[in-house]
Amino acid sequence: MALSGIQIYKMLPRTNCKDCGFPTCLAFAMKLAAKQVELALCPHVSDESKAELAESSAPPIRLVTLSANGNSVKAGNEVVMFRHEKTFYNMPGLFLRVKDDLSPEAIKAAIAPAEAFKVNYVGIDLTMDGFAVESVSGDPATFAAAVKATRGATKRPLVLISGDAAVMAAGLEQLDGEAPLICSANSDNWEAMADLAKSHKAALTVSATSLDELAELTGKISAKGVEDLVLDPAFRQLNSSLIAATQIRRLALRKNFRALGYPMITFPGDAGDVGRVSVQAAQAIAKYAGFVVIDEFLPEMVYPLLVLRQNIYTDPQKPIQVQPGLYEINNPTADSPLLVTTNFSITYFSVANEVEGAGLPAWLLVTEAEGMSVLTAWAAGKFDSERIAKDVKRFGVAEKINKKQIVLPGHVAVLSGELEEDMPGWEIRVGPREAVDLPGFMRDAL
Amino acid sequence: MAEHTVVFDAAAEVSVPRGTLLADAARKAGVEISQPCGGQGRCGRCAVKVTKDGVRRRSTLRLSAEDVEAGYALACQTVVEGDTEVTVPAQEKIARLLTTDRTVAQVQVPTGYSAAADQTIKRFGLTLTPPSMVDQTDDWSRFTAGLRQQAGIELGHISLPLMRQLGAVLREGEWQVTVVLDLAEEAAPRLIAALPGLLPDSAPLWGAAVDIGTTTVSLWLVDLLSGEVQVQTAEYNRQISRGEDVISRIIYGSKNDGGQEMRGLVLESIGQLLERGCRRAKIDASEVMKMTIVGNSTMMHLLLGIPAASIRLSPFVTAVNQVPPFRAEDVGIGIHPEATVDCIPGIASYVGADITAGVLSSGMDDTESISLFIDIGTNGEIVLGSHDWLVTCACSAGPAFEGAGVMHGMRATRGAIEEVWINGSTYEPSFRVIGGGQPQGVCGSGLLALLAEMFLTGILDKGGNLNSSLPTDRVREGEHGLEYVISWGHETKNGDGPANDIVITRVDVDNLIRAKASIYAGFTILADSVGFPLEAVDQVLVGGSFGKYINVEKAVQIGLLPDMPWEGFQFLGNTAVKGAYLALLDKHARARISDIASRMTYIELSADNSFFEAFTSALFLPHTDMDRFPTVAKALQPELETEE
Amino acid sequence: MPIEIPKDKWPGSVREITLGATAADGGTRTSTVTVGGEKALPYMHFEAQMPHKPVIALEIRDRLPDDWSTLLLEHWGDTAKDPAAWAKAAEATGVELLQLTLSLTDADGNPNTPENAVAVVKSVLAATGLPLLVFGTGQAEMDNVLLVAVAEATQGERLVLGICEDKNYRTIVAAAMANGHLVNGRTPMDVNLSKQLNILISDMGLPMDRILMDPTTGALGYGIEYGFSVMERLRMAALQGDSMTQQPMLVTPGFEAWKTKESKVGKDVPAEWGDWLKRAIHWETMTATALIESGADIVVLRHPESVKRIRVAIDELSAVPEMA
Repeated sequence: MALSGIQIYKMLPRTNCKDCGFPTCLAFAMKLAAKQVELALCPHVSDESKAELAESSAPPIRLVTLSANGNSVKAGNEVVMFRHEKTFYNMPGLFLRVKDDLSPEAIKAAIAPAEAFKVNYVGIDLTMDGFAVESVSGDPATFAAAVKATRGATKRPLVLISGDAAVMAAGLEQLDGEAPLICSANSDNWEAMADLAKSHKAALTVSATSLDELAELTGKISAKGVEDLVLDPAFRQLNSSLIAATQIRRLALRKNFRALGYPMITFPGDAGDVGRVSVQAAQAIAKYAGFVVIDEFLPEMVYPLLVLRQNIYTDPQKPIQVQPGLYEINNPTADSPLLVTTNFSITYFSVANEVEGAGLPAWLLVTEAEGMSVLTAWAAGKFDSERIAKDVKRFGVAEKINKKQIVLPGHVAVLSGELEEDMPGWEIRVGPREAVDLPGFMRDAL
Repeated sequence: MAEHTVVFDAAAEVSVPRGTLLADAARKAGVEISQPCGGQGRCGRCAVKVTKDGVRRRSTLRLSAEDVEAGYALACQTVVEGDTEVTVPAQEKIARLLTTDRTVAQVQVPTGYSAAADQTIKRFGLTLTPPSMVDQTDDWSRFTAGLRQQAGIELGHISLPLMRQLGAVLREGEWQVTVVLDLAEEAAPRLIAALPGLLPDSAPLWGAAVDIGTTTVSLWLVDLLSGEVQVQTAEYNRQISRGEDVISRIIYGSKNDGGQEMRGLVLESIGQLLERGCRRAKIDASEVMKMTIVGNSTMMHLLLGIPAASIRLSPFVTAVNQVPPFRAEDVGIGIHPEATVDCIPGIASYVGADITAGVLSSGMDDTESISLFIDIGTNGEIVLGSHDWLVTCACSAGPAFEGAGVMHGMRATRGAIEEVWINGSTYEPSFRVIGGGQPQGVCGSGLLALLAEMFLTGILDKGGNLNSSLPTDRVREGEHGLEYVISWGHETKNGDGPANDIVITRVDVDNLIRAKASIYAGFTILADSVGFPLEAVDQVLVGGSFGKYINVEKAVQIGLLPDMPWEGFQFLGNTAVKGAYLALLDKHARARISDIASRMTYIELSADNSFFEAFTSALFLPHTDMDRFPTVAKALQPELETEE
Repeated sequence: MPIEIPKDKWPGSVREITLGATAADGGTRTSTVTVGGEKALPYMHFEAQMPHKPVIALEIRDRLPDDWSTLLLEHWGDTAKDPAAWAKAAEATGVELLQLTLSLTDADGNPNTPENAVAVVKSVLAATGLPLLVFGTGQAEMDNVLLVAVAEATQGERLVLGICEDKNYRTIVAAAMANGHLVNGRTPMDVNLSKQLNILISDMGLPMDRILMDPTTGALGYGIEYGFSVMERLRMAALQGDSMTQQPMLVTPGFEAWKTKESKVGKDVPAEWGDWLKRAIHWETMTATALIESGADIVVLRHPESVKRIRVAIDELSAVPEMA
């Protein structure tokens, strides 16, 4: 169980010696509780405390890393059930599955667009994470050829799928020096699969339709020395897969149940119909999957899935921000006034709501101020004339409006002088201090 | 660039480039214009009247259309664009009745204080054998030998200026000499003064304790031998004219010569207090041998002339939290030049020496019970803990409870409404005015009471919205939305100007609720940070000058202070200067402050979202989570029943 | 030894709220909809039975909207010019509720009037038997005028009137209270604000079983994570027994998703965005999926294809699974 700062503090030497680099033992204890530092930084902690603290700080869900050619995908190491409790750390990898009934050329053609896919979302390039190759032929040579063709078309990590150890061995031969994921060990084949995973340093998926069976298998396999396991609770319905995923995560986090302390893989592609595939994939991203495998590469579906993943894995401890940019309120025209404020969401909402509610058209420039309110951002030097001028340029404001006039929040009237210098040719107006007075100001003074 | 002429009060003429601020032109012309908000265009107090128009007003915030029509302009927001003539209205005379002077309480000397055992400044009388032809020992050796033999002290440090004077002093006193030493560093005593002749043992040995507040500077003159406080005096911090809050002052201090100017202003304030104090004690300032100073980190940086810019910028670090003792002359304070100036350590940008000293004087660091200590000022600094652990944070409550940023707010001086009651059926208020007579505005305690009364009578709902459907004409639509009239114009005295109604607006209410929410959120975050339930706190210690007049019941009703039994609250007054006094007297107390500073854990509220969460939760009357305020919930109950 | 699954036993539950009234109860609806009643986190069937499935509302307008994506306008065609016809077509998509949004002006730019609002609401009520949610224009003064008139003209229908906000709730709540309607309270993505508005509304005397809360959400890519987490937290607070958070939650993923650039714009966008219409449907569907996973009781959508997909998802999630 996680310990609170004070609980950890009681186990530390309490000398405030600062050797750990923190000003007090309590400050260090709070960082430990937040899992932001390692206990090893304290040279004076007793062995007894060390043992007790190590127990509470071991990751309850194992980190599994797939890698190939310098690319890697990580899953696991999660510490909470709900993102608001802390954050979700390792985004689930999105994989496209191909099957070995396709010719090598067809495999390459299927992979090429997904491999090349790169879409920009708020300055981040989103891509697919890897590919999965499944044997439907049951023939080692065919599978090997398919894996080879796949490896020829992408440098990203791979997932190999076959229940037959001989087939799997042939596929793995193609991936020397990589850490792929192999699917799946079950109660029939687990020993052979575990041996393969061990000899090829591959991660191994364990598949079963009950948690008891899953736990029994992972226990046996880890006893053979294979530690990088991935769970496939083989439910394919939204309700059952949600419940299984929740129960597995709960057991790992709340009960520290090691046998299920592994990341999970899901196969929304099995659902077939695009509507169901997209919903299942979205659920998997929101609810605990470590790897998500789809069967058809559709950019119009992959793009929103990757965005959803990005959103869900945003650190909720950061101030609530809106995207900096030029916002339209009540369908403004080129003659509508231009207001400026910071990207703290509450600030944005109060300004936008007042203006919107009054039915007044306006352009609202929201600047990058690290999610601080106007006064706080100004105090911390994050909302100054330089930044405003920069964002006016960045968002092409001048092209949208006729009159070069900008309205500053009244709280930062002090910026008007500097802004005149930084934005030559612009008229700088000082608006009211409170958003509630904005409509009146816009009606009377603009 | 074109130059324009600006004439102030038909007398001072100055030529400035086009685009110069009127405020800068005035400074160049030697005309003093007060800028309490530091030139941010926020306070409106630098309004001047433009009689010959050659200006452009960037902002007219706080001026009405009629004011502008009549020629008024804000000096800090108006630029010169042609030849101009300006008159500067006579500065509103600031009321001098300081809250700190209203209740000068007798200060008890700490029990068991012994100068011999506790004081680091020591005075000795030495009688030396005069030199002669048979004893040609040099003056210095004779002096140090005497000190060794008669006081048992091996001198460690002496300054060159003192060395220069020594011979003359010894001879003037006919080889009798009084020495004052600083023994703080045991291995190396430092000579502060050598004075001709001997003094009676009963003669006081003077020290001073100083608290540099953002608003008020306080100074106590103390006899270090008896421990008695002989004089208490306080004055506005002269830096106010360059900004009311620390941020404005840091910004001002970071510009050009602003830092020097800020340092000069606070030194002037201290000098003024010294002069007044010494006059009352009938001594010369050079007789003061030690000064212990507390203040928030910004004040300390500005006093020492250390750049303060990093304090306000992320990641919010100070240049220095803990400085060694300095010579008075080096700091620029007009007591004995060799006197020790001891600046008490702070711990972070927004938790300074005033708080470490406050913790000391509250005694919370020395007891097993868990205390919550709050120093309410422009910033609310909060400390939670016991002898075992201490955590602290600072929340910027803003100056609303000091009467600033509120339409008819004012300081707690004559004419301020300091207590309010509202009739629950007629919605008519009654109030008490400081000094009696007619009201001019509302001070912090009055605003707090007003908020509580408006809430309890249903004029405000829990969200702070005014209810316009009540049968009273006191709730009306004003310039900033709905407002409540506390006092009608004909009841109000407002200088010679037109009689104005005193009102509290929806914007004011929002400001006050934000201020109280900020402080309460600080409480909850501190408690959460260590996993300690706020309800389990044994006592709440309230410091700051505001703390003396606060009405606990009302403060709880609006959710400013936690809902706990009244006997758990203690009001301590100015804990900062008291802590400075204790540290000045007693080296053990001084060591305790260092200990407090080294083990107090600072929680940075802007590091994550939790403060904002707690703040939003507290942005409600009394709080979104009613379970935290059981007695208030109970007080509201009958009202709910009648509504259903 | 079988694994012992940790089960949450929550002390609290979500309030049950019934929308719409049939003739027997003083209204004219042919069906009513009850939402809420959850005693566990969404779809945790192994912990508690889920008394009511989440429901879908389709949004229609009192006139052809000016600001909707052309994809939506093309889909609805001329139907969208007549609110009654639109309501019928909407009902045919299989939704349980209709949500009618009033416009600030008529097509010529003249301000909307209470007479017009009442006429439109009545025509919609006449055209369909589904319970109805009537949301105002978003401008406080106008909403207070229009919604009071609508509330009075439809007494006893148990309409949901919206949108109450913390600075403008009194008039709408009073109208709902006097005329037997419900209200929807909207707050901007914050647990405390949601709770505060519930307190303010209930302090006026409106029974809690007539208050829906709309914690607001951003669309996918535009802040959905805030709405997602706020809803998860509100639902947990409700289950923990915090009485002022136990209202069923309504969210408007249709409105949010269809104002994004991804849904609104078909030209001059990156090729990686894929097919416009398919993308727009995905955008609305995935936004709604995330929200039903986090506790939404009512989702308001705009496109029938999204309705179809979310219907399948809700049915699948709400069925008690057979698990080993």
